[in-house]
Amino acid sequence: METSKNLILGVYDNPDKTYSVTKKLISSGYSVYDVYSPFAIHGLDRVMGIKRSRLSVAAFLFAMTGLSLAVTFQVYVSYFDWQMNIGGKPSLHIPTYIPITFELSILFTAFGMVACFFIVNRMFWGKNADIMDIRVTDDLFVVAVDTKKSKADLGSLNQLLMDGGAIEVRERTKEL
Amino acid sequence: MSYESPIRDQLVTGGKTYRDVTRDITRPLENAPSKGWWIGFSLSTLVLALWIGATTYTFLVGLGVWGLNKTVGWAFDITNFVFWVGIGHAGTLISAVLLLFRQKWRMSINRSAEAMTIFAVICAASFIVSHMGRPWVAYWPIPLPNAFGTLWVNFNSPLVWDVFAISTYFSVSLVFWYVGLIPDIATVRDRATTKARKFWYGFFAMGWTGSTRTWHRYEVISLILAGISTPLVLSVHSIVSMDFATSLVPGWHTTIFPPYFVAGAIFSGFGMVLTLLVIAREVMNYKNYITIEHLDAMAKVVMVTGTMVGMAYITEFFVAAYSGVEYEQYAFLNRAFGPYWWAYWTMMSCNLLAPQVFWSRKARTTPWFLFVMSIIVNIGMWFERFVIIVTSLHRDFLPSSWTMYTPTVIEFAILFGSFGLFFFLFFLFIKFLPSINMAEVKSIIPTHAHGDHDHGHSHDHNHDLAEKGALHGN
Repeated sequence: METSKNLILGVYDNPDKTYSVTKKLISSGYSVYDVYSPFAIHGLDRVMGIKRSRLSVAAFLFAMTGLSLAVTFQVYVSYFDWQMNIGGKPSLHIPTYIPITFELSILFTAFGMVACFFIVNRMFWGKNADIMDIRVTDDLFVVAVDTKKSKADLGSLNQLLMDGGAIEVRERTKEL
Repeated sequence: MSYESPIRDQLVTGGKTYRDVTRDITRPLENAPSKGWWIGFSLSTLVLALWIGATTYTFLVGLGVWGLNKTVGWAFDITNFVFWVGIGHAGTLISAVLLLFRQKWRMSINRSAEAMTIFAVICAASFIVSHMGRPWVAYWPIPLPNAFGTLWVNFNSPLVWDVFAISTYFSVSLVFWYVGLIPDIATVRDRATTKARKFWYGFFAMGWTGSTRTWHRYEVISLILAGISTPLVLSVHSIVSMDFATSLVPGWHTTIFPPYFVAGAIFSGFGMVLTLLVIAREVMNYKNYITIEHLDAMAKVVMVTGTMVGMAYITEFFVAAYSGVEYEQYAFLNRAFGPYWWAYWTMMSCNLLAPQVFWSRKARTTPWFLFVMSIIVNIGMWFERFVIIVTSLHRDFLPSSWTMYTPTVIEFAILFGSFGLFFFLFFLFIKFLPSINMAEVKSIIPTHAHGDHDHGHSHDHNHDLAEKGALHGN
């Protein structure tokens, strides 16, 4: 398994250019490792062939977990474990379980899904960010081309990036 | 098909570039605070001290220092609780509901509105704890196996639902807020010049790199968080209203309460957002981000929701008359014409009549006037809760226990002091975190549509670059 990647970076100052250059690179057979931007560029994920994230499935599963735990717990507590007669109200009364069940489903969904988000992105508190260019969280966009995986000729890559409007092109090694 | 944002009225004025956005919004974080900030922060700290003092006094001496009595067992405490929870609702509404409706004007106000939500819920929770009188047993509503035999909480009680609703609301809002902050915290990290800033912002940025893969997942979870926060915010105030609506007290026992409370919450929340933003855009010089159009849109929401609560007040009256239940009828007549008539008519004029001025565009676009109106709305909504709680309780079925409620100085001090707590947190927020969502604002700065098509307007690009001033890198 490779431990590092050799990347050629094209730095852009405009999301439109970043978008079209990425598209052109991919159609000419280059392998775009990733694109870094200060905000989400809509449609770029599709161009890069990123599959739709399954975090929504995770969210649904967490919601179901919260829902079943809440129902089980309330039924266990108020019916099986210790019945209480409060104003003659029934001990097993499904409609009154709805609010708490709803709240707990939401709680589990939010926390579970966000935890999964951090896990799949390998994000955690205190992590050292391996940023391609310090300006990428400010106003610049970086297209990173993976040299090993690219099938097209690397000689013309520089020209292609510059033609797309790059303000600079450089090499970088990224430790994995 | 990809989503293309249409070029429409500029949401950010002044021809800002991406760099300008970063600079403008990180300025308060990277420089010594202004005089205005110090004045505001010191004042709110003083008021916070009053809150700490009054609350501590209550805990030491007991609830007897409040004006409560056998008949009126809930008054200022629960009024303040409902008031603060209501304030919080605008934040979630702006960030979640407006996200689902793709209202892009939300982007420059959602961060501070969400912060407001969190701080308002903290204030609300403080009243829940203090109204118990014995804060050391505040964990009792949580269903824990305990030492009193197997005595669990009563799941039929809306008060228990409320514990779950408020804590879920607080924690989910916090998560939503934090997730939204991560890209901006990373921006501050990458600009940091001091060691401390580099460390702390780096710590909380969680290694954010701006990768498109991350952005893709980020958009997915933002949408889902918005999707679950929307029913959550509606459920929270519905459950708060059930604290009253499921009882048998005339004036509380009405099915209209949940929608009526939710509308009221949005109304008061937008009132508070206006109060904060009218000041913030002046003091922090954010007029290009929080434009007159933003204020106009918020004023419209205030007008609509104010009219909705006004309609609810009138509906309540009508239903009481139509029901033929004399207790119910008396409760409402007593509200409007009994000893607390002044509270009722304050509520009516502040919430129903006053916002009608917003039919005029001039009124919606004059900042000082909006500020005055926002205070009126807040006063009106505080009185709404006071009217609902106190006037319903002080005269119910049994005339022999009819009585009046008079708040004590301590209760006023706690109410006033809770604003200190709120503003103390808010001032810290604007000093240490970017108070406008930079990443989202950058995405709505006019740029050429970047949809799934080849650009047929490359001649525009030079103009585009000049407009952004972005040609000269760093």
